Parts: sequence; structure tokens; C-alpha cells
Amino acid sequence: MMRTITRILLPVVLCTSLPGQLKEPQTTPDNQLAPQPTLYDSVVKIEVATQVPDYRTPWNSGRFSGGTGTGFIIGPNQILTNAHVVSDNRRLLVTRRGSSQKHVARVRHIAHDCDLALIELQDFRPFEGLPYLDIGGMPKLESRVSAIGYPVGGERLSVTQGVVSRIDFSSYSHSRADSHLVIQIDAAINPGNSGGPVVQDGKVVGVAFQGNTQADNVGYIIPTPVVKRFLKDISDGKYDHYMDLGISPFPLFNPAMRKAYQLPADGKGVLVANVVPGGPADGILERGDVLLSIDGNTIDSAGNIRIAGEFVDMNEIVERKFAGDKVSLTLIRKGEALKKDLILREFPYSRIYAIQYEEVPRYTFFAGLVFQPLNLNLFATFKFDDRRLRQIFADYVSRGLFKDMEDVVVLTRVENDRLTTRMGGFTGIAVSKVNGQKIKTLRQLHEILNAPNPPEYHVIEFNGGNRPLVIPSAEVPAAQKRIMAQVGITKAAQLD
Amino acid sequence: MKKLLFALVLLQPLVAAPEDSLVRINSTIQTYSASQPWEKTPPRSRRGLGTLLAGNRILTTAAMAADSIYIELQSADSTQTVPAKVTAIDYEANLALLTPDAGPGFLSELKATEIASPAKPNDEIELLQLETNGDPLSTTGKIRSMELLSTFVSGRYFLGYVVKASMQTSGNSFTLPAFRNDKLTGILTSYDSKDQICDVISIDIISAFLKDAEDGNYEGFPSLGIGTATTEDPHFRGWLKLPEDKGGLYVTRVLPKGSAAKAGMKKGDVILGVGGFAIDRRGYFEHPDYGKLFWPHLVRGGPIMGSKVAIEVLRDGNVQTIEATLEKSPAPLVPGYLYDEAPPFLIKGGLVFQELSKPYLEAFGKDWATRAPLNLLDVLSSPEDYEEGRRRVVVLTRVVATEATIGYDRLGSQIIKSVNGNAVKGLPELAKALETVPENGIHTIETDEEPYQIFLDEALSDRVDRDFVTRGLPTLKRLYEVE
Repeated sequence: MMRTITRILLPVVLCTSLPGQLKEPQTTPDNQLAPQPTLYDSVVKIEVATQVPDYRTPWNSGRFSGGTGTGFIIGPNQILTNAHVVSDNRRLLVTRRGSSQKHVARVRHIAHDCDLALIELQDFRPFEGLPYLDIGGMPKLESRVSAIGYPVGGERLSVTQGVVSRIDFSSYSHSRADSHLVIQIDAAINPGNSGGPVVQDGKVVGVAFQGNTQADNVGYIIPTPVVKRFLKDISDGKYDHYMDLGISPFPLFNPAMRKAYQLPADGKGVLVANVVPGGPADGILERGDVLLSIDGNTIDSAGNIRIAGEFVDMNEIVERKFAGDKVSLTLIRKGEALKKDLILREFPYSRIYAIQYEEVPRYTFFAGLVFQPLNLNLFATFKFDDRRLRQIFADYVSRGLFKDMEDVVVLTRVENDRLTTRMGGFTGIAVSKVNGQKIKTLRQLHEILNAPNPPEYHVIEFNGGNRPLVIPSAEVPAAQKRIMAQVGITKAAQLD
Repeated sequence: MKKLLFALVLLQPLVAAPEDSLVRINSTIQTYSASQPWEKTPPRSRRGLGTLLAGNRILTTAAMAADSIYIELQSADSTQTVPAKVTAIDYEANLALLTPDAGPGFLSELKATEIASPAKPNDEIELLQLETNGDPLSTTGKIRSMELLSTFVSGRYFLGYVVKASMQTSGNSFTLPAFRNDKLTGILTSYDSKDQICDVISIDIISAFLKDAEDGNYEGFPSLGIGTATTEDPHFRGWLKLPEDKGGLYVTRVLPKGSAAKAGMKKGDVILGVGGFAIDRRGYFEHPDYGKLFWPHLVRGGPIMGSKVAIEVLRDGNVQTIEATLEKSPAPLVPGYLYDEAPPFLIKGGLVFQELSKPYLEAFGKDWATRAPLNLLDVLSSPEDYEEGRRRVVVLTRVVATEATIGYDRLGSQIIKSVNGNAVKGLPELAKALETVPENGIHTIETDEEPYQIFLDEALSDRVDRDFVTRGLPTLKRLYEVE
């Protein structure tokens, strides 16, 4: 079974007559001598067996599946590929070109926010001597590039050629939450190409990673600034994720708005419309500040800056930085010019909006009730329609709701049983209190419900709910045993 | 089939036959555009039947009269017409009284019908339609059950009959009178041809409506102003200490300023009885003549405005009786309907402000409950979280591109908190706050979403507004008086 490596991600191959060193050596069938290895030989096929958890039945093992993708050698035992090729894997096998021997590999670093991963072989020796692909720069618009990989349609290496048609800031569908620089090329893309190199003049200018279901002959590649950032981020042995200022900018085009913030009509400065509570800018920037420059680059009223002649979003400065890096800002606050520095750091709460991989879904099962913390995986699985829950999800970061409820605990399921017979109407809404205590984490809810000497009734209140749900605690132990056996649950909770 | 029905008609007594009271009603309906409230949508027409009552009054449904801009009464044979006006209307009970707007014309040739005494289950009733040529078309049906029905405004339930009848559908929309012993006994509002079941407004509700309208000042049906949940869940009952032999309705919400709130009812109370009738765990009581009925009938079905009703509640495990004086439900934060009301709005420099209403949200289309802006839907489902300091919720609904709204184009659906520091209780208050121009000539509008503050230049918006008027906008505001 072939996994179409991610929904709209179709890896790309571009073909062209390859420049000098990539040119396929002429081999004839009767040539018994092994040819000199070329860069083509450094492009490997990755077979992956996956196990994807099912958030609907989090106690189950999940779906077993698999697929293929492409990777390329960039250094000693360093194979670069897409994160989506190797996500949720239970087994990775790498095959060299022209060989059928499969070599066991494992993920060394994975970055879901930029869809890149570095994998390594258990034993690199069979691959020694193969050239390492160089990471180059940005290709020019209209220039030709070649994508190399192992797409569907055949067993052997495939090469496709295309033209760089657009360089843009665009979304990376693997996490469903991130946007970075993307290069669009006009080559057809096929499943299996993901993770393959896109080369120009013998150097890698991108990694093929996704297609477009609404357009033919369009492929997207991850450009080298993103690849280089990933490689630099992991150079300390750990991937820290992309950084974010944690503010919402609002354009300052309106003359009345500019006047109210005491700004001249010079088209400069962007408004800080919101500061994410607890984010890196919290305590440094305030709502109503007007940002004038970032690291010395003048910010215009739409929040754009100019770097090396290119007109880009000011966020591009932050995109290139790492956890612990400093950002220098000049701003106007209530008419007063200020200079502020802020230190970038990870802000894990915003990951609630990104699909999670390699994670075992957390849950607790209590007398037929299944409680799970809200994240995008859960939302995508259950398609919640409760307005209050959707509002909480939308406001979780921007209004700092995570401070009071790190986990938004949702009652996702009520298993049918004589104890739960009238409780079906409570699914899909967020728990606010259990036994009078405000719920901040799944673990806390689990501990309250499973505390020794429980009250006569457990009382569970819901955010926006009509009435509390009550469970007679005396009936819980028998019900828990009975329902777990009926439903086939062997583990009552997964709290980490 | 037609022949058979004709035969039935011929069997009717010749004097004061029900069909002698039938009037065709043609009404032209026009509503305001939800997104451009200064305009009306194209008119539609609706056709139904009315019944002549004593005193030149014509009874029909509210559906026939709501949002009407012109109503015409037509003789059964469609040869004569008389314009009419609405004298009383109840959108929730779906009833309206019309009277000729000029001389009675052909109405003087008709015979007013009398009001029947209350019907009971299994009574036979006669449903009347009019053929194109003016001949009556009668169908006999049987009252299968008495139930609380919601026939026009959703979620408002009134006593009605569920009638089994095999009807031939003629040109009229379903507003048809029902008779019993040649007296008016109800109005049919819908017919399901597959199951051959129709909903009929009961004479009990019609009588109460007519009585209320007698003095020319229609007040409407009272309401307790509460939200409830059933108590079938045995564990929930155990926790509430509800005895097995009792029913009980759990109070989930008490509308501020409503009859129940004034009587001291609290969220978490369990209603055991209303007006001497025990309420079961699903909210039903046993009516001596009608069978099981949903509890609101005890508030809306008989008692009139201002009368008192005793409510037995369980609170903290103790049974107590509270006495509520029945009143109309308090004005809601988010109106559920706006029939015959021009929605208020205010345009200032291209910013369009409106008061949030359910019809506004419904205008987002068939899937409005998921497609409308989430923050506004939240107000509709949890108004109690927005009630403080507000009579209505004022929303910046859209931004018309003007010189004054440069940079604001992507704003919309922002709930307004204050203007120039004055809290906004409703649209008139917002308009008033904008009348005082701050020293720097710039209004500050505070919202509850990013960017939280919007600024508007008074001089510039003034110029833009004048331009709106010259370019065909009939008016820049439609406000109402605040008490």
C-alpha cells in the first residue's frame, strides 16, 4: 500500500539535460565495471512503514500504513528528506540507486514546521564514497532546475525539469499552520518525489515537497534559506522550531489612525494590534506600539521591509533567527520614541494549531467518558461544532487562554453503557470544572476524578454547557472495569 | 376526487355556512437587506385565506401579515378587492387581525363566523380551501393529538392540533381556516402531503389572542423567561435529590428582568409543578382534556398578562413555592426576529454599524449556524456573557471602501465596546457618542478584537458621508428612541 505522501504534497521531479557533473555517465549493458559514482547515486529511495495514531480511539494502536519518498546525501551519514516522508514512522529503509538491498535508517532530526528531516543509516559504510550534494543559493526566476527522485510510475530514478516560476511566502501543508519561503516550479509532481533534491548547476537549490491539487504542472520546493536554517538550528543537536515575535501587526494606512498615533504621513511604521500574552514580546511591546524598524530595517506601514532589494514581510528577519537570538526594534509608544530588544524563544502553545506527529495521543478514560486535550489533530478528527469550543480554540493563543487552561479538555466520547445511558448530549464541549475545581490540564482532571475518597457524585461542568454531568462515584470502579472490557481498552489513561 | 369533495360541500347547511366567512388575502412582503440595511430586498407576494369575524375583523396567520407592505382582501371569486391593514399581530403565536383600510366593500356581503368552543382529541374538523372559481373545497380531518407547535417563529411553542387529513392542495399557501360545527376552530399552517398530517393553531390560542386584541392594545402572551433541561438522567436526579415519584425540569438559565427572575427563580432550581400541575422529567404535564402537553402551555395557554402563577421548585433539596407574575419576556440582547421592524443602522465615513440580531446571522445563508462569524455566533448562544452594560450588541458589520476607511478594508464583524470613552449600550448611544467631536477631530472606536481601536477623522468622514448621500444612499442612519 502506497501512502500518497501527505494530502496535497506531491513531490516534484524536473528534468533537463543536466549540467556537467550531473550528467548520466554512458553505461552499456555489457559494461561490467562499476562506473564512477555521480550525484544521481547520492539520491536515495526511502521506504517508510508508518503507524498513525487514531485520535478517535486513542487507546488503540492506530493505522499501519506506509509509502515511499526520496532523500539525498548531504554529508557523512546525513540524508536530507521531507518531514512528511518520515513522520510517524516505525521503520525506515533506504535503498541505493541500482541496488535492491535495503538499509535500515532512523530519524535524527525532524522539523515539522518546515517539513524537513535529517535521517541517518544504521551502517553508512555501503554508502561511503558517494558524493555529498552541496546546498546552493536561490535560483533566479525563469531559470531551469531539475528535480530528482523516485516517484510512482517506475522503479528507477526519475529526473524532471522545470522553470522557476514564482518565489513566494506560502504555506507548508505538512503542519497546516506554517508559512515560509517557497519556490514554485512548472514541473509535474508525483507521489514519491517528496524529499528529493532540486538542482541547478550541480548544486541543490531546493527540496521537492508539495504539489497543488488545483493546478496541473505546478510543484513547490523548499528553498535553500529554509534548508540552511534547519541545518543550522540542529547543529547544536536539537531542533528548536521557527521563532515568532508573538504580535499581530495591523497596517497603518489610515490617516486618522496615523494622526491618533502621532505619526507623520510618511508611510512608515506598523501597529502592534495585539501582543500574545506570555509570548516573547509580552512585557516588551504593548498593544498600540508602532514599530518603525527591525534590526535596522525600516518597516513600512504594511509591515514590510526591504532586504537586499527584495520586498518582504518583516517577519522574514525573525524567520532567519533562532531561539535565544536578539531582535532590535525601534518604536513609538504614546508619541515617545523607544528602542527595545527582545530575545526570541520557543512558544509551544501556538503548536495547538499545528498537526502533531510522533505523539501518542493523550486521554483519560473514566467510567465510559473519554477526555482528550484539544489540538488540531483532535479538531480535525472530531470536527467539533460547538460554538464555545470553536471560540476557545480561536482565542487560545491570542487572548492567552492557555494561562488558565493549558489543556482545553474536551469530553470527546461517551461509550454506551448502563451508567452512561443519558450522557450522550455532552460530547464535543470543553470541561470547565470537575468537583468544583477549574480544569487546567488533562492530568489534573484525571487526578481529581481518580482521587481517593471521592465525593458521592463526581460533578463535571462544561464551558457553555446547560447543566453539569454527574456520575455516582460508587458505581465508577465496576463501570470502569466493565466498559474497558467491552470497548477493548487496556490502558485507562495516557497523560504524557 | 373533486366530485366527491363537491358533494361534501353541498351537504353543508345553507345558512351561515363557514365558506360565507372566507376571504382571500394577497399580501406583498418586503424585508430589509441584512447586509445593506438601508435597502429593501425585492418584494414577494404571499397568498392565503382569512376568516371574517364580527366587527369587520379578518383573522389570519402572522405569516400572512409579517413584513407586509400592502395587504389586499379579495372576494372568494376574486372579483372584488378591499385594501386592509393589520390591527393586531403576534409573530410567536402566528396570528394576525386585519381590518379593511377603506369601506368594507364586498365584506358586507359575507357572514361573520363564530368562534368554536375548545376542541378535544379525536374531534372531527373541516378544513376549507377556495377553488379558483370561488367554490369552497372542504376536507374533513380528525384531531390526532394536541401538541405545542412552533408554526412561525422557531422555538416558540403554542397549543395546536395535529390533524390527519387527506387534502387536495389548491393554489393557496397554507393559511387555511378550520371549522367544527360550522364555527372557527383553528388555522391550518402547514400540510405534509406525504404523511397527510397538518398543523393547526388551536382555538384556545386564537381566543386568547382575540381577547387581548379587544381593547385595541395587543400585549401578547406571557413568558417565564427561563431555559430548562430535562431530568431523565438517573444520576443527575440522584445528585439533585429528586425523589423517584417526582418529575422535574432543571433550570439552566434565568433571563434577567424576566417574570421568573423577578419571582426569585435561580439557575439550578428544579421545577416540580406549575399552576398546580405536576411537571414530569421531560417537561410535560397531564392536561385534563388534552392529554400530555409541554409545560409552557401553563404559562402561555391560559393565563393572561399580569396574572400570577404558583411554581413549585426544589432548591437545595427543599421544596418551595414561588409566585411569578406573568409578563412578556424581556427584550432580548439578540432579537430572534425583526418582523415589521426596519433594522437600525448607522453609517459613518464608510463604517457600517448594526445591532446584532438572529436575522442578521441567518443572512449568512443555509449554513449560517457555522458560516456566520464565530464571535457573533457566540453572542447568540451565550448572551449572558455579553449582557453587562448593553441593551443590544452593536457590531461594525462592514466597511465600505472610502477615503476615511483606508486600511480598514479587512475589518468586519467587530463588536463595539465604546466610542470616545463612552460605553455603547445600543446603536442610538453609539450615534450620540459620535456627535461629540473630540478636540483633535478624531473619534476613537473601541472594539473587542484586533486592532481593538479604530480611528475615524470627523471632517473626512463628514465629507465621505455627504458623498454617500449624493450618490444615492437614501439615509445614513436609522435609529430608534431610547427610553
